[in-house]
Amino acid sequence: MQPEKAKEPERPDDAPAPPAAHTSPDSPTPQPAAQAEPQPEVAARVVGVSKSFKGTRVLEDVTFDVAEGESLVLLGASGSGKTTILRIIAGLAEPDTGRVVLHGRDVTELPARERGVGVIFQDYALFPRMTVEKNIGYGLRIRKRPKREIKETTERLLALVRLEEHRRKYPSQLSGGQQQRVAIARTLAYQPQVLLFDEPFGALDAHTRVRLRREIRALLREIKVPALFITHDQEEALELGDRIAVLHAGRLEQIGTPDEVYNRPETEYVATFLGAANLLVGVVSGGAVEIGTATIPAAAETARFREGQSVKLVFRPEDVVLSETGQLPAGARRLTNGVIEEINFVGAYERLTLRLDLIARQPHAGEPPLYNVAITTPERRIGVPIIVTRPKPAANTPRLPLGARVAVGLTAFRVLPNFTLASERGSKTFDVQG
Amino acid sequence: MSSAISTFRHVRGFDVARPLSIVTMLLIMLPLVLLPLASIFIFGTSKGLGSFWAALTAPEAIFAMQLSLFTSFWATVFNVVFGLFAAYVLSRYDFFGRTAVIVTISLPTAIPTAVAGFALLLLWGPYGVLGRLLAPQGIQLMFTATAIILANIFVTFPLAFGVIKPVFDTMSRSLEEASATIGATRWQTFWHVTLPSLRGAIVTGALLTFARAVGEFGSTILVSGNLAMRTQTAPLYIFAKFNEGQVEAANAVAIVLALFSFVIFSVLFFARDWLDTE
Repeated sequence: MQPEKAKEPERPDDAPAPPAAHTSPDSPTPQPAAQAEPQPEVAARVVGVSKSFKGTRVLEDVTFDVAEGESLVLLGASGSGKTTILRIIAGLAEPDTGRVVLHGRDVTELPARERGVGVIFQDYALFPRMTVEKNIGYGLRIRKRPKREIKETTERLLALVRLEEHRRKYPSQLSGGQQQRVAIARTLAYQPQVLLFDEPFGALDAHTRVRLRREIRALLREIKVPALFITHDQEEALELGDRIAVLHAGRLEQIGTPDEVYNRPETEYVATFLGAANLLVGVVSGGAVEIGTATIPAAAETARFREGQSVKLVFRPEDVVLSETGQLPAGARRLTNGVIEEINFVGAYERLTLRLDLIARQPHAGEPPLYNVAITTPERRIGVPIIVTRPKPAANTPRLPLGARVAVGLTAFRVLPNFTLASERGSKTFDVQG
Repeated sequence: MSSAISTFRHVRGFDVARPLSIVTMLLIMLPLVLLPLASIFIFGTSKGLGSFWAALTAPEAIFAMQLSLFTSFWATVFNVVFGLFAAYVLSRYDFFGRTAVIVTISLPTAIPTAVAGFALLLLWGPYGVLGRLLAPQGIQLMFTATAIILANIFVTFPLAFGVIKPVFDTMSRSLEEASATIGATRWQTFWHVTLPSLRGAIVTGALLTFARAVGEFGSTILVSGNLAMRTQTAPLYIFAKFNEGQVEAANAVAIVLALFSFVIFSVLFFARDWLDTE
């Protein structure tokens, strides 16, 4: 109970309160982390966009921007409204309120054809009756550009996407990856202000997906056109995005670099949607989080909370360290003890299910740190399970047997407010464990 | 038991069902379709090609065939263009009464052609609902080539529409949206993207309409007045000559119409695939 001490923010990266997820329309770069770099020019900006379909709110006051040369990934589950945002930027749908600004010009009222936005549709939407060449030259042909210019541009783009030998083929004769490259070249022909990718790898198999994602990343670095990706795949988001915007039920939950969004999630949804996360409900008590009988020191993390406030302790499976001796490595904070209930070997790492004895009493002074109880006791069923992953080297030294009692420490975690009532929060929160 | 049944069905190494089915099918088809068609050719050429040619080149016969082609052509042009438009509107926009319009448009398929002709007479005839208003101005639509075209349009409208609309319905919207984001106007999108995808459907719809219009009899005979050298189409000519007992004259034109439909259906059969692929 030292509130004055607890209020000392020791780590500035933990400071932003949840409302900061909705960036203010006035600040071009919403995240503090971006302030270190010189502020880049804004290529596309969406300001306060809301949209309803037949009485259902699909977008709620969404604001973000895409910097020049940046790739931003809009990540969300199906039904989160991410495709609607893309359609609104492209001019294929109209927002109920809000503006779309491209390179400083308000285009909200402009039809799609006057916006100069390149859309790469999920099915690529290549014109089936046109050859690769004709598809790429389409944008210039309808702009009535001279034949020579069309030819030169087509040549240049064919070389850029490495499809020279396929120029006379029809889209149906190309592979998925080749079709996608034609779709990109087709939009690059008219020098779009921003490229919008709608679930670009949805129609491809897992192997091709990974390869193409790297290809596109390399291509975008080369052409330096700002890009907005729409995806539901968190791995894709982490790999493709300079920044990631997490969308949930029509609201922007958080926007930031992959590192920020993954390691410092601002909401429970972001924590659980991007990668696996363990969630434990606790209360703030004297610069620590109390979870049942366990206490973990968290002076900096709890600084922004009231004493006694209900919070959630969020941590990733890979941020858990286990020790059979009770000796945790430096930097890890002791949470409690637990029993190993399940061990799965998942290739590169080991996944353990651990049952924390959060209702057991703490060992008294002089008692051994590991308070041994048989795992067949009812306690086993009331304890809280968490998921722990360990890379191969750590998993082998030492190998932990099933049923072993271990001390549990955390190297990194987040403390988020626990909204017990749905009305306290605009979007839904889930009690997902692991 | 089971072995007895199987021997009944199969002579060893030989499937009885296959040749039996084929022969049965041919026996049914022959007298119903193939023999009547063959008989026009047999009868038409029985008196030598010279008399066939003379019957075919009679001025009345030539006029009737020309009139048929002329009226069918314009009915086809109208029905393809307007069928395309109607299919576009009805598949792209949702509005009150849309289904009712689709049903109404498709209705002529089920209406007896004589009823269709009669209905046109009641509308445009000298004492018809609209014809009564036009008659004092000296405008008489019925019993002219225009009447034949109107009848053809009425009767064949569902054909082109019916072929084109499903293609519109299944066409991916993203093609048109892609064209719009690339910078095309609605018209450019329609011309460069939508229309090429409809090529097969348009040709099919046009051929079906044309074939049906050339053969149209029931409505034509009511609205045209069946005046030789003025409003007599080829099917009416066959009917008139047959009634007059000039079977050779009727038969010569009948051969031409039969060959004509054969050609159109061959084209339909083979060209559709060719048009839809590259």
